[in-house]
Amino acid sequence: MTILSIRDLKVNYATQDGTVQAVDGVSLDLEEGQHLGLIGESGCGKTTLLKAIVQVLPRNGEIVSGEIKFQGMDLLKLPPAEMRQLRWREIATIPQASMDSLNPVQRVGSQLTKLLRVRGGYHKKAARKRAVDLFDMVGLDTERLMHYPHEFSGGMKQRAVIAMALALEPSLLIADEPVTALDVIVQHQILEVLRQLERELNLTVMLITHDISVVAQVCDSVSVMYAGRIVEEARSEPFFTSPAHPYSLGLQQAFPNLARPRDVLVSIEGYPPDLREPPSGCRFAERCPFVQDDCHETDPQLEAVGDGRLAACLRSSEMDSLRIQAEDPTLWQNVEVAQYPHPKPLPHKEGGASVAETNGGTAASASPSLPVGEGAGGWGDESSDILLEMNDVSKQFKIGGGLSGLLRGDKEQTVYAVNNISFTLRRGESLGLAGESGCGKSTTGKLLVKLLDASQGSIVFDGDDLSAVDDRELLGFRSRVQLMFQNPFEALNPRFTLYRSLTEPLIIHGWKDESERLQRVVETLDRVNLRPAEVFLDKYPHQLSGGQLQRVVLARALVLHPDFLVADEPVSMLDVSVRAGILNTTRRLARELGLATVYISHDLSLLQYTCDRIAIMYLGEIVEIGPSNEVINNPQHPYTQALIAAVPVPDPTMENPPLRIREGVPRPTEQFIGCPFAQRCPEAMEACLEIRPPVIGDERGHQAQCHLYGEHRESPPLNRDAELAR
Amino acid sequence: MQQEASVRGEPPGKAKMEFRQGSALRQLWETNLEVFQRDKMALFGLFIFAVFAIVAVFAPQIAPNDPLTPLKNNEGDWIKDAMPYWLAQPGEDEAEGYVNNFLLGTTNIGRDIYSQLIHGSRSALLVGFSAAAAVAVIGTVVGLLAGYYGGWVDAILMRAADVAFGIPFIPFIIVVSAFLDPSIWNVVVAMAALLWRDTGRVIRSQVLVIKEQAFVSAARVSGASDLRIIFVYIAPSILPLSFLYGSFAIAWAILTEASVSFLGFSDPETISWGFMLQDAFNSLALSREAFYWIVPPGLCIMLTVMAGFFIGRGYEEVLFPRLRRM
Repeated sequence: MTILSIRDLKVNYATQDGTVQAVDGVSLDLEEGQHLGLIGESGCGKTTLLKAIVQVLPRNGEIVSGEIKFQGMDLLKLPPAEMRQLRWREIATIPQASMDSLNPVQRVGSQLTKLLRVRGGYHKKAARKRAVDLFDMVGLDTERLMHYPHEFSGGMKQRAVIAMALALEPSLLIADEPVTALDVIVQHQILEVLRQLERELNLTVMLITHDISVVAQVCDSVSVMYAGRIVEEARSEPFFTSPAHPYSLGLQQAFPNLARPRDVLVSIEGYPPDLREPPSGCRFAERCPFVQDDCHETDPQLEAVGDGRLAACLRSSEMDSLRIQAEDPTLWQNVEVAQYPHPKPLPHKEGGASVAETNGGTAASASPSLPVGEGAGGWGDESSDILLEMNDVSKQFKIGGGLSGLLRGDKEQTVYAVNNISFTLRRGESLGLAGESGCGKSTTGKLLVKLLDASQGSIVFDGDDLSAVDDRELLGFRSRVQLMFQNPFEALNPRFTLYRSLTEPLIIHGWKDESERLQRVVETLDRVNLRPAEVFLDKYPHQLSGGQLQRVVLARALVLHPDFLVADEPVSMLDVSVRAGILNTTRRLARELGLATVYISHDLSLLQYTCDRIAIMYLGEIVEIGPSNEVINNPQHPYTQALIAAVPVPDPTMENPPLRIREGVPRPTEQFIGCPFAQRCPEAMEACLEIRPPVIGDERGHQAQCHLYGEHRESPPLNRDAELAR
Repeated sequence: MQQEASVRGEPPGKAKMEFRQGSALRQLWETNLEVFQRDKMALFGLFIFAVFAIVAVFAPQIAPNDPLTPLKNNEGDWIKDAMPYWLAQPGEDEAEGYVNNFLLGTTNIGRDIYSQLIHGSRSALLVGFSAAAAVAVIGTVVGLLAGYYGGWVDAILMRAADVAFGIPFIPFIIVVSAFLDPSIWNVVVAMAALLWRDTGRVIRSQVLVIKEQAFVSAARVSGASDLRIIFVYIAPSILPLSFLYGSFAIAWAILTEASVSFLGFSDPETISWGFMLQDAFNSLALSREAFYWIVPPGLCIMLTVMAGFFIGRGYEEVLFPRLRRM
């Protein structure tokens, strides 16, 4: 039975600069029990569609035409009072950032029972019973009903929100980015809850997300939206094995995949058309690698292309051959192939040879020598040129102190952000720092560029101890070390033209000659593929797209020709379609300039793609470090194992295994005698609580800090119940 | 959606800007220009100030008589309480032995009200602008230092601001006036000593926001010094706020000066609008229905205060675009 049926829906937004046709002729059917994933990049109309269905469009939004039928009722003709009755009771929504929608001054349980009593007509006792059941259902401890939202972690809040959404047994659940902004382990757990509820309650779900791996894990069918239209509709399996629209093809190749790593990720260059004046032809034509002349004139309609799927592409009949062509990354515009093949230091890295053949082969033979990392066996090689050394570095912050703390009577607390981490970085090498939020990876990044000073330990950069540099030496250091930021919209001074932003570092470092500066700036912009560079010089940041801005940020970092670059979540704020472009450029330039890089990211698949080595951080410590493929394919530390198991795979046939790790990161103000991970560790032994785990490594430099491999490996396993009872 | 659209590509209708370096000063000039282009009320406020400024500069030329010297008739007596010529009984002036060409009449000791009004604009603008400048400069510096350096600098400056918030304003001025010789500068000193608190607080909060933005870290990573970061990166972003508080301070200063003069704590040798009101009040002008003595200085005070607030509003709208939709 069709639960929701949308026909030719058009939604416009009136803005100062004209009418934006945010949703332009969308038709969609949702069967009972179907789990539909709606994917697309930001601004493609996904959220607008959701808001139109439940009719909560902002004041400047208007449904121009079309029909939305829910269980046979025409929602657009329904009086507002009846629509109100439908919401939550029949159509439940989990809006974006819904974790923040809990009322902070009411207990979560009373918010839930109030909802049940007011909207659901439950009696007091029945409501309480139902609340307990709901909490059970989403895997929350029922004691939590008495807690306030601030006592919940992010994942717990999201569970509570799901419980509230399902409280009145709706027939349709619409979730807008339910796991975005959650840490990978929490994300995994929430997805598991959703999957389980889908099975148990036979829910009909519409899930809106930009992340195709989430769709693969939770949904059985997919709709791809692009520029206000649906361009492809299919069951999950055919969609993930053989997409039928060039945009879907691109999206798939843009996604890093831990299970099947790609050697080159593609980036769909350009950005969606201006929806104030949408093009008359195919909306994807400008970015499509298979574009033909008639694509610009004829507007393709959704048509059946076999396997019960629909695609809006003029060349859908040739899709089988296009799909094979699409495998070639050079086809996608501006795919950057590193000048030198990405060094694969491990001899047994599969597919390493094919990289050289397909992409870098000719380039590599043209260049006389690799700047760094020739071939295998570099790890642990003491003679190699070490650029940076971290020796037992720690960083603590004091909170709640100071004069106002003194006056208010707050007790000063110490946050142990980074604890005794040590690693070395050679010239031209790239290291990834991964871990959940709050694990100290960003603090480490700031320590590396001396935005913060270490509390203990020493950081030695090219022979100089950073804690002992004077002002002049510091300026020299500043010219050699740069930082790339997470949010490109904030990383540039909004009042400066791009030229001004890029020339600032040069002025600071005493470049007196204006024409030399201009030349260097133009050259750098050209390097990061902003061409022609002259066009960008007098632009302001707000005139550029996120992807372009991040290139400018990269250019500013490179304008002084540094030796070392720290990239803090360089692509997490960007759309999937342009992420790969930034990563490819950074990777290529690091090779070309012999730049040592530290990537900080929560995304392991991304780090595997870009880094030679990966370090996994937990509560300020490096628990495992080693060559990327070693760490990903052969993780030693239970935490690393959990992290990797939690990454959703963009393949509906592969279901992530259930995690054995426990929820809840301890507070960073706690200090541990033993292993900080012991509380959550499925392998925890008695020794873990009492004794610091040793660092055990192999000859390739793959090290893990865990008792499982040390002398205490025979220690009896920890009795959880006894521990809990304490 | 709207954000998406504006981020990408050229905003429609915006001409391609010519290549330039975009100095901080120029940016500031553009912000100021934008205020007055966008908001006609602000432009009107600016116009009022301009008119009063011209009047103040050329006061001796414009004013027909000296504002402090009593005018005398043929017999050497003061021309007391003369009505404006457009109100007076025809022939009355001849009978008293003078020519009535007084636009606003004379005071009870024979001073020309119109000339007083003209000269009053001098002290009003002097007090207004110097107090505003002092408030804006002190507040901005305090805000920048407290916000940027944080820690003990912040603690000390903000506790000082708390103290300043705790002192009642008008009584404070009266005390200051009691200790110093009577002068219009007392108001300026008192305002500078107290009113920086609001400006300082607001600017500090803004600095705290800007300081955390990535482009400031980027500047530091590039090797920019503290001073460079404060003055090249942070100050241009908060200067419009200083202008906002400065333009409100102009209005407050003029109002305060009028109140203090009206209470009788001003210099009797300097004519100001507040002084005129006090003079009129003391000589029972109200009971004689001498509106031509009371209304014009009141109107002038109102106009200048209005002008200050109009300009302030203009800055507010540019700084906080959300206000526009209200």
